[in-house]
Amino acid sequence: MLAAAVVAAALSTAAAAQDARRGEDLAARLHCTNCHGTDGRSRMEDIPSLAGQQPGYITIQMILFREGIRQVPAMQAFAQNMPDKDIEDLAAYFASLPPGPAEDRRPRDPALFAAGEALIGPRNCAVCHLPSLAGREQVPRITDQREDFLARTLKEYRDGNRVGADPQMNGAVAGMPDAEILALAHYLSHRD
Amino acid sequence: MIRHTLAAGLLAAATALPAYAQAPAAPVPGWAVGRPEGSTLAPHAPRLTVTPLDQVPVGALRLPAGFTAEVYAHGMPGVRMMTEGPNGTIFAGTRAIGRVYAVSRNPDGTTRTRVIAQGLPQPNGLVMVGNSLYVLAVNRVLRYDNIEANLDNVPQPVDLTAAFALPTEQEHGGNHHWKFATLGPDGRIYTNVGVNCNVCQTDRDKFALLVSFNPDGSGRRIEARGIRNSVGMTHHPVTRELYATNNGRDWAGNNWPQDTLHRVRQSGEDHGFPFCSAGAADPQHNAGHLCSGFVQPAALLGPHTAALGLRFYTGTMFPERYRNQIFIARRGSWNREQLSGFDVVVAHLDPQGNVMFIEDFLTGLRDDANQRFLDRPVDVHVMRDGSLLVAGEQMGAIYRITYRQ
Repeated sequence: MLAAAVVAAALSTAAAAQDARRGEDLAARLHCTNCHGTDGRSRMEDIPSLAGQQPGYITIQMILFREGIRQVPAMQAFAQNMPDKDIEDLAAYFASLPPGPAEDRRPRDPALFAAGEALIGPRNCAVCHLPSLAGREQVPRITDQREDFLARTLKEYRDGNRVGADPQMNGAVAGMPDAEILALAHYLSHRD
Repeated sequence: MIRHTLAAGLLAAATALPAYAQAPAAPVPGWAVGRPEGSTLAPHAPRLTVTPLDQVPVGALRLPAGFTAEVYAHGMPGVRMMTEGPNGTIFAGTRAIGRVYAVSRNPDGTTRTRVIAQGLPQPNGLVMVGNSLYVLAVNRVLRYDNIEANLDNVPQPVDLTAAFALPTEQEHGGNHHWKFATLGPDGRIYTNVGVNCNVCQTDRDKFALLVSFNPDGSGRRIEARGIRNSVGMTHHPVTRELYATNNGRDWAGNNWPQDTLHRVRQSGEDHGFPFCSAGAADPQHNAGHLCSGFVQPAALLGPHTAALGLRFYTGTMFPERYRNQIFIARRGSWNREQLSGFDVVVAHLDPQGNVMFIEDFLTGLRDDANQRFLDRPVDVHVMRDGSLLVAGEQMGAIYRITYRQ
């Protein structure tokens, strides 16, 4: 598998490091858009939107899927043996799509939104995700994301069921009550 | 001058912390504990994809006269700590990508790289004990017997996790849980248990330690206490004393504390963390301790340089002045406004084992003008022919340094 990855990388040196156009074709061929949305905005429960996501974050997550370190059954077949080049091009493609909510987003609940907003400072979200919460490199964008996916992910980090490239999120949400997680997810999904 | 002012500003911000520490219990990512408001410094992103050979920056490496660098192996994302089998296979661990690599040499001198294990949690600690490869992955300890004869068909490892009983990732709170491992002249396995935070009061019998074990995991012994996070240990080839690098705490300024080299003359000595770092009182966690009461660092290795893997040079290829001196890989800073490290230095010792001075050896990977880096040296290894391997984690390559008069 490693040998294949080396060959793929060697063959691609003439091309740009990341090729969003090639990534678009790959996304169509692999039917990524069936679940993640033709515009990269998911309309399926628990499936994340990828539009405008940090390419470095997508790349690392795909590699963690491929290596069996982050285990999500739905992604396993797609990531298995995927060459680095394909991963980087897919990441470049989804990163190039404008981020935003899907039309199935539920209406804003002003009280819940405010409760979530009040957690951003004390929880130090902007330390890594930056004040815009759009992320950087290996740190994901957490706005323009599905509320249900955000809530589930935060619970997975809290309960030790999700690992990243590093375990920082596990520490960041340690002991966070469900009510706070739901408020934070609501705020993030409505912060336009 | 400017740097000095900046450091003072950061220190002032750090000591002003209690004001915002009063906010409702707000867990911060472990690495960001104590971070001054508004700072945008954060750990650099790892590169987990293959770097093509023509992008491996071997041409940028600068070495003293007579030394040459070549690429020994590449296409190994995240390659870190190295150990060598009796038949010359180089085994290398990783962190995020969870792989263990094996590099063997082909008859024509080229190398072949295999992935012999994957999906492990941060398998950074590798050590050979006879024909067995030990892989320390956070608290997991796996023993691959007769590994070099089975590189194409790696057998199931013997699981020694319960016997070693190292703290889990959860117990570490996700902080400093990856291991370095080395075999002592006494036949014991030496490793680190890093601190479970950036800086905090903690269980000093459980965290911020160097520890050793019998190879079956029995007989745990604390070798040194109060060492924040050592990711590099080695024994002096003559005195047999243990030397270890240590990563200093973050968010106490651009220039304090320096990373340190520690010398352990007696098992169980206290080196002072969190009360003291680099020989001086911690601004928040000193708790009234006199720093002169702790073992002093053997050498200062620069602020935030991330001094990691180190080895004594025991070969004969390099000039006489390098024999029995310590080569130290410095992975390079993130918690500093100006990059530091990203190089390999040599600690020159007197015959008694005191460090006399630190000297640059491998440079050229840090681009000061643009504040970027080309690779991150994380470990060194002396091969039997006397050449020196340097693992470059960011570009997934192992460099080989040779000398010719």
